Amino acid sequence: MKPVYISSIVVTSPQQHFEDDGFLQNVFGDDSGCLYVKEPNYRKYINPVAIRRMSKLLKMGISTGMNALERAGVQQPDAIITGTGRGSMVDMEAFLLSMIEMEEEALTPTSFIQSTYNSVNGWLALQTKSNGYNQTYVNRGASFELALFDAQMLLNETEEAQTALVGCFDEITPDYVRVKGKIGYWKEPAPANLELLQKADTPGTIAGEGAAFLTVTNNKENTLCSLLCIKMLQDATTDEVVHHANEILTENNISLADIDVLLCGMNGDVNQQEVYTTMIGKAVANTSIAAFKHLCGEYDTSSGFATWIAAKLFELQEIPEILTVKRGRHERIKNILIVNHYILNSTSLILLQAE
Amino acid sequence: MSERIVITSTGIISALGIGEEQHWHALANKKTGLKYPVHLTTRHASEFLLGEVDLSNDELAAMLDLPTGDNGYTRTTLLALVAMQELVNKTGLQLLQDEPLALVNANTVGGMCSVEDMYPDFISDKQDGSFIKYIDTLDCAESTLNIAQYFKIKPFTATISTACSSSANSIMLGSRLIQQGIVKRAVCGGCDALSRFTLNGFNSLKNVDKEASRPFDQTRFGLNLGEGAGYLLLENESDAVARGATIMAVLSGYSNTNDAYHPTAPSPDGDGALMTMQLALQKAKLSADDIDYVNAHGTATINNDASEGKALQRLFANRKPVFSSTKPFTGHTLAAAGSIEAIFSILAMQNQVSLPNLNYRTKMDELEIEPVTEAEQMNINHVLSNSFGFGGNNVSLVFSKP
Repeated sequence: MKPVYISSIVVTSPQQHFEDDGFLQNVFGDDSGCLYVKEPNYRKYINPVAIRRMSKLLKMGISTGMNALERAGVQQPDAIITGTGRGSMVDMEAFLLSMIEMEEEALTPTSFIQSTYNSVNGWLALQTKSNGYNQTYVNRGASFELALFDAQMLLNETEEAQTALVGCFDEITPDYVRVKGKIGYWKEPAPANLELLQKADTPGTIAGEGAAFLTVTNNKENTLCSLLCIKMLQDATTDEVVHHANEILTENNISLADIDVLLCGMNGDVNQQEVYTTMIGKAVANTSIAAFKHLCGEYDTSSGFATWIAAKLFELQEIPEILTVKRGRHERIKNILIVNHYILNSTSLILLQAE
Repeated sequence: MSERIVITSTGIISALGIGEEQHWHALANKKTGLKYPVHLTTRHASEFLLGEVDLSNDELAAMLDLPTGDNGYTRTTLLALVAMQELVNKTGLQLLQDEPLALVNANTVGGMCSVEDMYPDFISDKQDGSFIKYIDTLDCAESTLNIAQYFKIKPFTATISTACSSSANSIMLGSRLIQQGIVKRAVCGGCDALSRFTLNGFNSLKNVDKEASRPFDQTRFGLNLGEGAGYLLLENESDAVARGATIMAVLSGYSNTNDAYHPTAPSPDGDGALMTMQLALQKAKLSADDIDYVNAHGTATINNDASEGKALQRLFANRKPVFSSTKPFTGHTLAAAGSIEAIFSILAMQNQVSLPNLNYRTKMDELEIEPVTEAEQMNINHVLSNSFGFGGNNVSLVFSKP
């Protein structure tokens, strides 16, 4: 497939949201084991009547998506494609618990409706009056990647200049953290997030959440970077991941030495470290190694946050100390490869290139 | 010009049984699968007619040579595996293992059918018990990944969740993946098991009928929920011909649009549904006059049938279309509905018989058109199959005779 281009990208994250200027200037850290997002003012993008009944995930998804469109100067995207690992956990839990408590009587539908995975998509279409292609992927650690991949396919299927709004969103709830803790998702006791990567000798990680939205187009003009390739691998061995990484580099005429930044999703879990250790081991002296999960925590769609970081690195041509694992000898930042592994054995590779 | 995408095999389970033959027998003989549930634990069990699959979890597990009891497999996954086993039995596993394959699955509430029973244990202080095996089963990809693991395949994997249009979207995505050359074949479909969560959710919206649903009838009140799974094997026509496969149908058109009208209600005049059907026909290079039969979404809710009915009337401006909803047979199987009804559409075309719209008696005031109520012999060269969902997610598919 031909490359496509990212024309805007914004996040709502534990570090900063789309209203904040700068890039990781006031880094947030704590030792609660849960990195919740810093919430923006949602009222700018959602009407006051609708907003009262909306849960956090909906507000976060809609606002972040609308802001990405605004920055790209796009009023009606040709497609809206999202990925979420869990959808609105708050709404799912609310409806489930009231159903259990009320013994299946006298239930109200709001949280049931909002718990459907495609509700953010529906609202974004409604707010922008976009009748075009509309899709939601719910595929654990590959949800965001599938949305991005679908956008690349869609933009390859048309001769017209088109723009797709692509996004992802996931949230933490106290019950989610408690439940997943029973099967060893988290480090105990929780380390400070900013020390997560130094604690990679024990199992478990810390929980995170966030939303990322970007506009993707097949028209190169005035864009931030190219999206060359996305690869999703399920239950792949480390050798297979390396093989696929080499393959996508070859397909795009990029050598290992051309990778300026290898952006890795290390989450501090000793059992999930192997793929990163191997990939970092293959990297040459030219390449800088960077990491991001100590800033956003682990969640199904954290690669959306990573993609935002990559776009910022292209823009600023500088890697902040807080992201740096190892500094490489490259001068410019032209090629970035994101490697991300998620708890349930999915791995993804995203190859991006500056203009 | 891209090659034609064809359907060469299916696997299906619903309240009507397992496999094409049992389904066709029920459809042609107007035998509904709706009954009061036996396997779903709900205080509404004696109130609502549902399209429940007539097998317990243990019976489903036994068909798959899986251990019975709390084996870590949700009913959603068991239904998906049984439907897939049908498909695999016909095509052979080798075909799915040898060359690049996509597994595009669809689902609305993951393993909620199990999780809702265990949730009090999930959030209690208990650290062990059989519930632990189900902690990672709530999300929609659970069934998808279990299919891959059970059949030892390593496909390009995707799970879609766009409410009631989910598995129609699977079929569309599978076709696009083949056309882009990403994979050679695609297994596409969806699965959903009955759960108290969805039953009470739809009931809180006051659109569940306690009696058998009456699509496109003036007296309709709402839907009956159902469960099931359906999968279709898609490939390029030349690949199917080369391996000597029987071509069941051609996927000649598809379209995905959004109503952008309301979070749960369709546009009253059917603008969204009309646009979706028109774009699918355009993709198929066909006109409405070419469509011999429409398998409607036809949930029997007040809103859907008014909107879809008007859209059909506008699409078929020159004549009255032959159309029906098969939901009174199976109940609304949500994420599985698109693929199950795609299979029904193909069966109708193979047998050259229209599918009856059960329980229809009174014409709707706002419509001139009426659904077909009998399984009638007729010429069917092209079928349109509609799936419309919450959030305004609409998909139409066009299937044609090979």
